[in-house]
Parts: sequence; C-alpha cells; structure tokens
Amino acid sequence: MKKKFWSFTGKYKKKTAKPNQDQLQTSSQHQQPLLGMLQDDVKYIQSSMGSSADFETRFFQIGTDFPVEAAIIYIDGLVDKNFVHNFIMETLMVDIRTTDQGQNPHEVKDILTQLKSRSLAASDVTEVMDYKSVFEQILSGNTVLLLNGFMKGLAISSPGYDSRNIEEPSSQTVVRGPKEGFTEVLKTNTSLIRRRIKNPNLWIESRKIGQTSNTEVAVCYINGIANDDIVQEVNRRLDNINIDGILESGYIEELIQDETFTPFPTLYNTERPDSICAGLLEGRVAILVDGTPFALLAPTVFIHYFQATEDYYQRSDIGSLMRLLRFLCFFLALLTPSAYIALTTFHQEMIPTPLLISLAAQREGVPFPAFFEALMMEITFEILREAGTRMPRAVGSAISIVGALVLGQAAVEAGIVSSAMVIVVSLTAISSFVTPAFNMTISIRILRFGFMTLAAVFGLIGIILGLIIMILHLTSLRSFGVPYLAPMGPFITSDQKDTLLRLPFWKMRERQKLINKKNVVRENTPSPKPPGNKN
Amino acid sequence: MLKKLQAIGLCMVLTILSGCWSSRELTDMAIATALGIDKEGDRIKVTVQVINPSENAGQSFTSRTAVTTFTTTGDTLFESLRRLTTLTPRKLYLSHIRIIIFGEEYAKQGIADSLDFISRDHEMRTDFHFAIARGYGAQDIVNILTPIEKIPANKIFSTLESSQDFWAPTKVVQLDELISSMTSKGKEAVLTELLILGDLNKGSNIENVQSVPSYTSIKSSGLGVFHNEKLVGWLDENESRGFNMITDNVHDTVGVVPCGNKGNLTIEAYKNSTEMKGSIRGDTPNITVNFTAEANLADISCTIDFTKQKTIKKYEEKLAEEAKNVMKDSLEKARDLEADIFGFGELLSKSNPKKWKKIEEEWANIFVNDLNVDFKADVNIRRTGTTTQPFLDNISKKKQEE
Repeated sequence: MKKKFWSFTGKYKKKTAKPNQDQLQTSSQHQQPLLGMLQDDVKYIQSSMGSSADFETRFFQIGTDFPVEAAIIYIDGLVDKNFVHNFIMETLMVDIRTTDQGQNPHEVKDILTQLKSRSLAASDVTEVMDYKSVFEQILSGNTVLLLNGFMKGLAISSPGYDSRNIEEPSSQTVVRGPKEGFTEVLKTNTSLIRRRIKNPNLWIESRKIGQTSNTEVAVCYINGIANDDIVQEVNRRLDNINIDGILESGYIEELIQDETFTPFPTLYNTERPDSICAGLLEGRVAILVDGTPFALLAPTVFIHYFQATEDYYQRSDIGSLMRLLRFLCFFLALLTPSAYIALTTFHQEMIPTPLLISLAAQREGVPFPAFFEALMMEITFEILREAGTRMPRAVGSAISIVGALVLGQAAVEAGIVSSAMVIVVSLTAISSFVTPAFNMTISIRILRFGFMTLAAVFGLIGIILGLIIMILHLTSLRSFGVPYLAPMGPFITSDQKDTLLRLPFWKMRERQKLINKKNVVRENTPSPKPPGNKN
Repeated sequence: MLKKLQAIGLCMVLTILSGCWSSRELTDMAIATALGIDKEGDRIKVTVQVINPSENAGQSFTSRTAVTTFTTTGDTLFESLRRLTTLTPRKLYLSHIRIIIFGEEYAKQGIADSLDFISRDHEMRTDFHFAIARGYGAQDIVNILTPIEKIPANKIFSTLESSQDFWAPTKVVQLDELISSMTSKGKEAVLTELLILGDLNKGSNIENVQSVPSYTSIKSSGLGVFHNEKLVGWLDENESRGFNMITDNVHDTVGVVPCGNKGNLTIEAYKNSTEMKGSIRGDTPNITVNFTAEANLADISCTIDFTKQKTIKKYEEKLAEEAKNVMKDSLEKARDLEADIFGFGELLSKSNPKKWKKIEEEWANIFVNDLNVDFKADVNIRRTGTTTQPFLDNISKKKQEE
C-alpha cells in the first residue's frame, strides 16, 4: 500500500513540475531580507502586492525628541482595526512619549526588542527578517511594524476578520447532542475540539498546504492514544501534497486517500466537533482545513458511516435499534429497485399470488419494461434531488410541487409509470437519507444503478453477483492501512460491541484493535447496579 | 489499468450477449390460477382460468369479469397447454396456479399421466391443491364465477383450507402427498370432491356475482377414493370425517349427539389427535387407532344439568362412542372400495418391515378381510362455554307454570 501511495504522488509531481517553477522564482525573490530603508521596503511590498485595494500602510513617527520613522502595514479586513488603533498606533504614537522621553531611539541599539518587551501590549509579537515572512504575516491578519534604518520588523498579531458564528451543523443534525458545528475558521474549530478534550496530550500540528493558497491545515490527535504509525503516515501524505490551492477538505481527502477508484469513501468527514472528538478518543487522526467546516477523520472503516453521534447520546438499546434500522435502510436503498426489477421480470413465482395480481394490475398499460421504468424514475429522482440542492431556497417549494404532483401523481395517472414503482423509488430515496454520512449515501446511489442493470440482465443471480463483487471490493479497501471492513472483514470478536449493535458504555471497555494498537483500555466503569438493600 | 479496462469490457460484453435472458415482463404474461383437466374421447381437454389483472386490483373496475377461461384439447396435457397460446392473448404463466381440478370421468380413467407433467414442469410451484369435480367436468367448475373472492380459484383454495381447519370432512391434498400415496404400496390416495350447486349455465355469467344469493356455487364436501391412479368411489361427509379422524387430520370440528328426550348436544372439538399403531402378531396384522379430543360445549337443545360431573362424564362417553362409530363406518366404506386410504399398510411396513414384505403382495386382500382394527376414542369436555345451565330448562318450567 505504501509503495502504491509513493508511486501515486511521484506521478503527480512529474506532471505538475513545470507550473511550479514560476512560483518558486517569485518566492526566491521574496526570500531577500529587508533593506532597512523604510520607504523602499514599503514600496517594494506594496508593488509586490500589486497595490491591492485592501493593502493599508500608515507612516508615522515614534518619539518626539528623536523621532524614528515608522510604518505599519496590514491588510484591511483581515485585522481588528480597533486593536491596531488602540494597542499599536496609540502605544507607539502617544504613550511612548510619556515613557521614553529623553531617550534617543537611535542610540538604543535594540529598539525593536524594547518595543516588543515594553511597549507593545499584544500577546503575540514576532520578528520578521525578510519579505517572505512579511507577506505571510500580513496575509494571516497580522500587522507588521517597520522602522526606518532597521533590517527587521515586528509582526503583531491582530487578526480580526469577519466570520460565520458557530451554528448548528446543517449536514448532520441531531435530536439530542451538542448543536455546535465547525465554522470556516481553523482557530475556532481547534478551540471547539480543545473545549471538549481538555488534555495536554491533544496535539495539534499545523502546516501550510497549497503553493498559492497557503491554506493552513491542522493535524490533530491525542498523543498516546493515536497510533504513531498512522500519525506519521498522515503527515507523510500531507507533506507529499503539491497543489496550488486547497479550498476544502475534499481536496485533501482526494489527495491522501488509499484508493481513488472506489465508490466508497475511505475518509470520514463531518462538521460536528463531537464526532471528531469521539474519533480522537478512539485513536483516530483528525485533519482540519482552514476555510471549511468539514474536518476529516482517518482511518475510517465501513461501519463508521453507520455510527451516528446520537447513537451514543441516547441509551444503548435505542442506539442499537437505530443502528440496525440504518443497516436495513442501507440495503433497502441499495437493492429495492433492483429486487423489484428482478422479481417482476424474472422470478414472478416468488411473489405471493395476491401481490403479483396487484402488481400485474398496476403494470397493465404501462408501456415500458420494468427496468426502463425504474431507471426513468430513479434518474428523475436524482434530478429532483440535485435541483433541490443547488437551486435558490426561494424556489424550493416549486420543485417539491413539480416533483410530488407532476412526477408522482400525474405520471401514475397517465399510466406511464406504475404506482408500485413510485413506492419503490420513494422507499429507496427515503432509505438513502437514513445513512448519517452523506458521502456514503452518494456511494449507495451510484451502486444502485449498477445493481439495477445487473437485475435487469441476470435477475436475482445478478444481484447476488453484484453483492459478491461489492463485498470483495470492500474487503480489498484500506484506509491508512486499516482494513475497510474491520472489525467484520478480519473478524475481531471484541470489537463487535460497537458495530451492528451499540452496547452500553460499561461493556465497551476497549478501543478498536486495528485503529488503536497500544492504548487499548478505554474505561473501567463497573456496570451500574441498583443499590443493595443491606448497604 | 489496461487489464482492469479489459475486465470491465468483458463484463459489458457479457451483459450484452446474454441480454436479459429469460426475462419476462408482467404485462406479457397471462397468470393462470386454475387448471381443469377433462377427458374428451382419447384426448385431454384442458381448461385454464386466467386472471384479468386490471379487474382484480387498481382503482377503476369495469363490468368485465375478473377471470377468463380458455379451453382446448390435445393428446397430452403439455401439448394442450401449448396449444392454448393460440387462444390466449399472452403466454400462460403457471407458477401461480392455486388449484387443479380433474373431471370425474377423467379421474376414473386415471390421472397419472397428467401428474407427470405437473410434477416435472419447472414453472409449477407445487403448493396448489387438487380436487375432483363430482358429477361434472372440470371445465364446468373452472367456468363458475364466485362472489366475494373475485378469482374463483382463490375461492376454492381458501374454501378448502378453511373447511379443513374448521370442518372435519374435507382434506386438502398437494402434489407431493398425492404422488407419494399413489406410488406407495401401503396407501391409496384421496382427493377432495367439488360439487356444483344450482344452475350450471348461469354460473359462468357475471350475473352470478351480481345477485345476493348466487345462482350457482361451488361446494367442497366429501372425498374421492383412488385405487392406484384411478378414482374408484366416494366417501360421504360422515365417512370423510371418519377418514380424517383416523389419519389425524382434524384440527377443529363439530360433534353432535342426541341428548335428553329430544334435542341435541353439540360440541366443538378443538384438540384432536389420533395415534395409530400397527403390529403384526403371528400372521394377523393389527392396527390400533386411538382418538382423543378436547371439546367445549357449543350448543345444547335439551334440559340436562351440566353442573354435575356425572352428566359430563356420560356425554363424554357418548361422544367417544359416536366417534368410534364414525371411524368404523369410514373403514367399512374403504373396505368396500378395497382401498387402504388410511395408510395402514405403510404403518405396518414401518413397524415390522420383514413381515410386511411377506404380506405386501396380498395387502389389498388382507386389508379387506384379515386386518384387525381396534378403535379407541376418548373425548374430554373441558369448558361449558360462557354459561353452565341451558336456559331452555327455565323456558320449559315457565311453560308448565302457565
């Protein structure tokens, strides 16, 4: 698997070698140190940024007796302007006169250190030596202070950009459970995780990925629980990414997954912090990307897509039933149309007589074969669904009217489709939305069409054939070295407690064996018992 | 990658080449529900009842009938069925046949040759029932429209099933049982008889289901007795009841004995079981039939005191005696027809295979003359219903006072 991965990235590098050269050249120019000539430095920085509209410079003087020419540079909209005014400009222009009177700033050799340690009341102040770091700092929402005659500047942390509030995640809602969702800001997202796992062993490693976009990507895991090999592997794969920009975690997912040509997702994504935290506690590694509320979790197994966070928030019996229902719905969503096609065109003898008569009565006058009818309705549903996702909210009701009335009722009344087929398609559609993970839903939808074709050609034999191929494929999949079907694929008895059923917490004392190899024991709560009469 | 593409390509070719082999749309098939087999000269006359789907389910019904029948003749059953395609609008689909009816004349000449096709054909589901049309041709029965159940075959099917459950004299027979009892040396087959009540000609008209009492109806009553593959005679209602009691085929039934001066006592026997034991002592084969039943009082039309244990005991014995008589009558009739429909021979062959071998050849003779059958019956009245004393008693007292 490793070898394959390497060869994959190697190929990728070869292809993208050319366009990267230009970028390298420009960045090497930026590597140059600051000149120390304030006007020239600012001019260079400004021109390098194309004198962008949001680029702001403010020249001023520090001190009264021996004024020093200074300038602050920041990007408007990325910084907190109040902070810049109150704690940088006011400090340097007003307060410094009262504190540093009589001192010749030019005589104080390390004026920057003085400023840094005595004047600037900001939490994060770092020195910048070259243009490259100046760009990095101002583009991250920091303010850079340059002094005339100094070959270095100070970067003062002052980010303050507008961002979305923490809202309820729209893709995975719960009845019971936390309603906070990740936002587009990485720092907010890591804070949401920190707030849930207050442990120094929660390690967050940050890096920038994307030659042009410089997107911050954080790898998050609990040291001592997460498998070191998997952490290393995640880091290695992330380091191998060589792409111009990362706009969503989907980019990362596609670039680091084990197998590309599979309908099944091998990385779990969620916008729920509690889901990520649960993964971290199980020893998984989370990958958070700035600019998207969707975080990734690796490694991921098939069962993971059927474990909703709410399973663990409701009592175990309820959780178990819900989970069984989800597995049922997985097969319903996958096989209902194909089973209908197979039974009505090949195996009519398997249908109970009254049902067959009723089906035959509905099919009476329908001009299409069952397969074509099913295909037509399924595609129609997919169109409706896609239209429902992409269209403006205001026209939503129009789509539902068209979908329900025109396609459902009218098509049946016109005798173009049978009402049984409408039931089959509706059942399939509803079942497919039961799966808590949307990307698994998509896989089901893709596979459904394959199964329908197999059913139309070979009947039930085709469906069984398809299932066998699907299972074979699933067993061959790996997610960061962990078999995708674990703990079913390699059958691990002790890990069955959280697969088909969700046993009570006091029964699930161990973490999943394949994901977590060293720190296996998770808890040791004795099973709750009613207090005895004697004591 | 190339290999993968090749594999995918081969799979595609596979689907295209096989091309929906043996697939069949629902709209291309005529679903047959009943098959009637008659004799016409040397040929076989087949009548098939085909449903008209849109009249059986859906929203708008027209005045057309729910089923249609087609009849044709041929040398063999399969040939005639295939010849039917010249009459039917679609190809016949036989998997959903509920009942196969033999005409009396046909049954008398033997049903074995058509059974071969029925058991051999892959399309048949073998969960259908068999019956004989007594006094009529099978075609006559298949042609009759029935009220409530739109599909006449379903009506016959469910009549047979429910009467077997609640009324002792009928018995449903399926293919495997029929063939095994026909081929067994120690057993003969029976089949339910179907009767037509009323006007035969009106039965096939839609008017038959448009009037409150139907002009014509189909009734299942006794049993037809076979000797090998040929119908040899009939058991009447009581004899059929006895047959079912002996063969442990009574689920729930009704028993009537006279009580008091005038009047009857009716019980509902709900836990019936029969144990048969066979043995061959010396050269005489012996069969013991032990019938037990648990019963509730259902209907009393005489004035007796049922709070007394003695009375209950008395009637339990009476009922047991009655049961024995019914079984004996049935045995007598079977002996008259020389057909061991109870499977006594099979029982003996299981209990004593060596001696059975010796008497096997003469079994028909032994069954009629030498077989010793002991009947035992035991009836227990468990409950008296929601009342104990019949109020008829009070009515007669009142009459006397007046």
